[in-house]
Amino acid sequence: MGVYVVTGGSSGIGAAAVEILKKDGHEVINVDLKNGDICANLATQEGRDAAIAAIYERCQDGLDGIICNAGVSGNCGNLELVISLNYFGTVRLARGLYDLLKKKAGSVVVTVSNTISQGTGRMDIVDLLNNVGDEQRIRNIVKNLDANNQTVGQAIYMATKYALARWVRRVSASWAANGVRVNAVAPGNVRTAMTDSLSDAAKFAVSALPIPVRYGSDALMDPEEIAESMKFLLSKAARGVNGIILFTDGGTDALLNSEKVY
Amino acid sequence: MKAIEKYIEALKKCDNKALAETFAIDGTLRDYCPNSTGRQEYHVYGREAIDMFFKNKFTFRQYLISDAEIVNDTQAEFVASIGGYYVMAIATVRRVDENGLITRLTVRPK
Repeated sequence: MGVYVVTGGSSGIGAAAVEILKKDGHEVINVDLKNGDICANLATQEGRDAAIAAIYERCQDGLDGIICNAGVSGNCGNLELVISLNYFGTVRLARGLYDLLKKKAGSVVVTVSNTISQGTGRMDIVDLLNNVGDEQRIRNIVKNLDANNQTVGQAIYMATKYALARWVRRVSASWAANGVRVNAVAPGNVRTAMTDSLSDAAKFAVSALPIPVRYGSDALMDPEEIAESMKFLLSKAARGVNGIILFTDGGTDALLNSEKVY
Repeated sequence: MKAIEKYIEALKKCDNKALAETFAIDGTLRDYCPNSTGRQEYHVYGREAIDMFFKNKFTFRQYLISDAEIVNDTQAEFVASIGGYYVMAIATVRRVDENGLITRLTVRPK
């Protein structure tokens, strides 16, 4: 059985992933702000360092995989948090755990979002994240934007997720050459605490991203459906899969972007 | 009312349900106009997909038409606003089934 780290594993998709992995007999370490096996604020470098140190302490023989799932929505009212948690909370943690992953030829799965294909994100922020990577400078830039404007919030959220997807694509070759596969799951709109807390306007927007497998109902995807994709990507069955964005959205991306063949 | 007229009425009202109902269950819509705006063209297969696709486009105001004019029994011209970019478009009903529902419709820049 393997040893896995899941970030944001106290609720939503992360909690479903923890449960599914545990059911299969794996050891799972949940890193979350609250109620985690390791409680850490991944939106800060101090929190990430503390989490990495604690994981090294517990997993000296290596890691079989990590699911980087912790994140906040663009409607949280704090764009700096969106930048620091969604993007840096993933890439800095994954890089920090790279040596542990190499020890066991582990696998990284990153949660992105099917919004990456909607084309409404701030690509300038995406470029800053991927090409500059200066967390404080990017925080300073987004600090000046209107965090209470939903369109702005969504554009920054999407930018962090797009940048994550691009990070996956960029590092996947060299990491795989060192035994570590890197992939992403792009969930559709999932029933989580995050979607439950959306404003009515945001819920209306969510309903306009139709989920073909749910046609005729207002139901969203279940967290377990996303977690099953994550489990697959972590598994040996996916040993040939590297550098992909696996859309687990019931067909939303294919509906809206049929001509895009990734 | 002819199929092309129903299609235009539904587009004008941004009514995705009515739009879908102008198509046969396996009807297809091919719209090449987005190419003119730097986007990929639309190929939407099936009535339910047309319903869902245009729910998205109408809600986010990514597909609106204006100045529509029926040209003949199978064609109409209009100005399409695609993500805020304007394209002069001509829609053609290529085929209908025995119930008058569209089985194939194309939209091209004029």
